[in-house]
Amino acid sequence: MSGFIDWFGDGSVLVQDLSLACCAVESEFAVPVGAPRVESVPPGAHLVQVISGTPTDALADVLAARLRAEFPGIRSRSRVAFGACAIAGGPYWDSWSVTKGIDQVVPVDHYIPGCPPPPEALGAFVAHVRTR
Amino acid sequence: MSEGVARHGSIRLIEEACTACMICVRECPAWCIHIASHTVTATDLPPGARDRTRNELDRFDIDWSVCMYCGICVDECPFDALVWAGDHHPGAASIGGLLAGREELRSAGGSS
Repeated sequence: MSGFIDWFGDGSVLVQDLSLACCAVESEFAVPVGAPRVESVPPGAHLVQVISGTPTDALADVLAARLRAEFPGIRSRSRVAFGACAIAGGPYWDSWSVTKGIDQVVPVDHYIPGCPPPPEALGAFVAHVRTR
Repeated sequence: MSEGVARHGSIRLIEEACTACMICVRECPAWCIHIASHTVTATDLPPGARDRTRNELDRFDIDWSVCMYCGICVDECPFDALVWAGDHHPGAASIGGLLAGREELRSAGGSS
């Protein structure tokens, strides 16, 4: 859960993937081969925070802290709910321990549906962020 | 992909075939299908026949936000009113943008 992916290898878009469950297999698959992992977000970069997998109420505070962390000097920040669980709790929406979507914890800018979604959909969104 | 094997993705509603029987709604593991209907009395009956009613669809929604694209609804529909129709929903800037109504579902993946 730590670190950032320098998606295009040029410091333009940094992606933080909060991998909570099986959707992480797909969000990892979306990462371009050889994309460097770095420990901080350089100023001037776009930041994309991806929540892939099932957020639970027990984890909500930890997730909120990660998703609200300050990144001085970044150009933009987008939060992406990747997959049915991150969007609305998925098939577990009626379960007592599952958060009914990460947008109950922090605002979300883009929702990518599926169980799991196609990895290309994440790649397309990151590419779109780069053109901003 | 071999011939005749449908790719999971969006689902199209063939409204003429739907009888609002609710089987898809009940079989959906994520409960992402919402149907409302009312009954109408058939008028094309021969003289002396008992009254007959049929369901008329008022609302058919698929909530892509929790849909698992598993295809149980497509498989279970006894009237083949649901068919695979191309790619997944591409995503939206709001969660409301993931709710597909009748019109959208009817034209999903282009006309049949």
